[in-house]
Amino acid sequence: MPSSCDEKIPRIEHHQNNSDVSITICGYWSLNSRERLRLLRRWESLVLQWKDVLSFEIKCDESLVWDSSLVVFLRNANRDLSVNGGQVVFLDLPAGLNKLLNLADEGQKRNKEQKQGPPSDGFLSMEALLKPLDFLGALVISFLNLVRGRSVMRWRDFFASARNCSASALPIVTLISFLTGVTMAFVGSVQLEKFNATIYVADLVSLAMVREMGALMVAIIMAGRTGAAFAAELGNMNLNEEIDSLETFGICSVSFLVLPRTLALFVMTPLLTIYADIVGILGGLLVGTLVMGFSALHYLEQTQSALTDMWEVYSGVSKSLFFGLIIGFVGCYKGVFSGRDSASLGKSVTSAVVISVTLIIIADAFFETAFSLLELR
Amino acid sequence: MNVSGRDDIVIRVESLDLAYGNHLVLKNISFEVRRGDCLVVMGGSGCGKSTLLKSMVGLLAPLRGKIIIDRDELWLNGDKKRKETLKKLGVLFQNGALWSSMTVFENVAMPLEIFTDLGVKEVENLVDYKLALVGLAGAGNFYPSELSGGMRKRAGLARAMAMDPEILFLDEPSAGLDPITSKRLDDLINELKESLGISFVVVTHELASIFDIADDSIFLDSESKEILAHGNPKDLLKENNLTKVRSFLERKTVNNS
Repeated sequence: MPSSCDEKIPRIEHHQNNSDVSITICGYWSLNSRERLRLLRRWESLVLQWKDVLSFEIKCDESLVWDSSLVVFLRNANRDLSVNGGQVVFLDLPAGLNKLLNLADEGQKRNKEQKQGPPSDGFLSMEALLKPLDFLGALVISFLNLVRGRSVMRWRDFFASARNCSASALPIVTLISFLTGVTMAFVGSVQLEKFNATIYVADLVSLAMVREMGALMVAIIMAGRTGAAFAAELGNMNLNEEIDSLETFGICSVSFLVLPRTLALFVMTPLLTIYADIVGILGGLLVGTLVMGFSALHYLEQTQSALTDMWEVYSGVSKSLFFGLIIGFVGCYKGVFSGRDSASLGKSVTSAVVISVTLIIIADAFFETAFSLLELR
Repeated sequence: MNVSGRDDIVIRVESLDLAYGNHLVLKNISFEVRRGDCLVVMGGSGCGKSTLLKSMVGLLAPLRGKIIIDRDELWLNGDKKRKETLKKLGVLFQNGALWSSMTVFENVAMPLEIFTDLGVKEVENLVDYKLALVGLAGAGNFYPSELSGGMRKRAGLARAMAMDPEILFLDEPSAGLDPITSKRLDDLINELKESLGISFVVVTHELASIFDIADDSIFLDSESKEILAHGNPKDLLKENNLTKVRSFLERKTVNNS
């Protein structure tokens, strides 16, 4: 049969002889050829048509021009035609094409043998529940060792972490708390004006800041800023086997890496909260004096009278101690147990922030409920 | 009981099974390392070489079996006892694993500061000596990020040797290094072995290194998950008839058919 393989298009010619089919590949096989896609659609219908055929012979025309598209086609053709028990024989394939097919087959075989990863333990395995508790226990023991003077924690790591999560965070804490104070003063003044009691804006701003907003805003800033940084830093150390190398020296990684960071946040978060409370009150003062026309002294006297019960201040600061612990613990935990690839590191950082913020809100609600039940409010 | 014979063995691994979760990686691994010898753990990628090393340096608890380091069973006793045993060994990780927030000097000095009562000057002298041993004299003030791959490995080796360990574990020391740097590292290993009598366990699949440094070797197989061959690599090359081992040592493709 004369073949028309001169044009620059891929072609398949076939002959059926009872239960045998002979296929000749010819023409110009290129990844860029649009004709090839048309041919593949035709090939699918041919495969359906040959579902009862038992023997296939595939050969190549001498004038065939080919690239990877033909290798892929032949691999798929072999799979498609042998699905229903057909025997596929390749005849007279160009030497290079034959080698590439064999190489790909060997590679796939090796892959099947080697790449059977460990089975997943499921979403909520016992280990997933116990691991954070184990980590918390190790942190508590490290702290007790520090108290007993037996810890390997280096104080300069503590001071470096303390500087990072306090002095370096001052600009953002100042901005956010000041604007929170300003916003609350504006919102409050609209309502209080209806009762001709705008001076109580000072009470509203000061009480809201010291009880709730100061601690909460600082905690959320710290979770996004410092918690994420801890997770990224320790995750990267895990990735570079730095944590493993500590363990092989017999140096407790929790004491050496986690304790100084968590302790720094535990100490610094309350201090930042007190600072945020003051800045927030100054934000309210700005609105009270410039917009509402009160004198600064009048506004501050009103603030002082609102805060005569110092428990209001203590309650906010005591909450921030726990918030600091939550952020430090979650950030370090996610870092130490992040996977050993960059994608897992990204996930660890994200989940450190999300889990910290969620736990902070839950803890805040818990504290407010407890204060209310214990009649501390 | 032959006490001197027993002392001659510095590491004994008996019927060791290792797994990640439910996924068995190695089974029934047994071998010994003689004092002052270099044992090379070889095998194709993914056969469990690094996993075996992890277990031997106290990072992965075995599913079954024993690892006895200088007469102390590593995984039988508690955390405290294990940490004591770990002080007898030093580990060089694949990329050096230097603590990135510290200079090279601080990296080498830290174990000495934590575990010894040496004064500042003594620590300084010791660190200078260890850095000079690995050819990094004067590089103490660099941070790991400022070093080349070869320098990082040598700094890692200096840190691994900080506490004068009896055994050094090296995870792919030549991987990613040019042939000249790799050869220098091999020469250094041989010199340390001969002059300090340190025993080595080296995980590698660099053929040139294997023939250069190994006194003994084990060949791990990813299919059977067991030791396929055990002996001096030069002898294995001459005498072993297993296709996989020969192909590996002769650097030939295995024909699966």
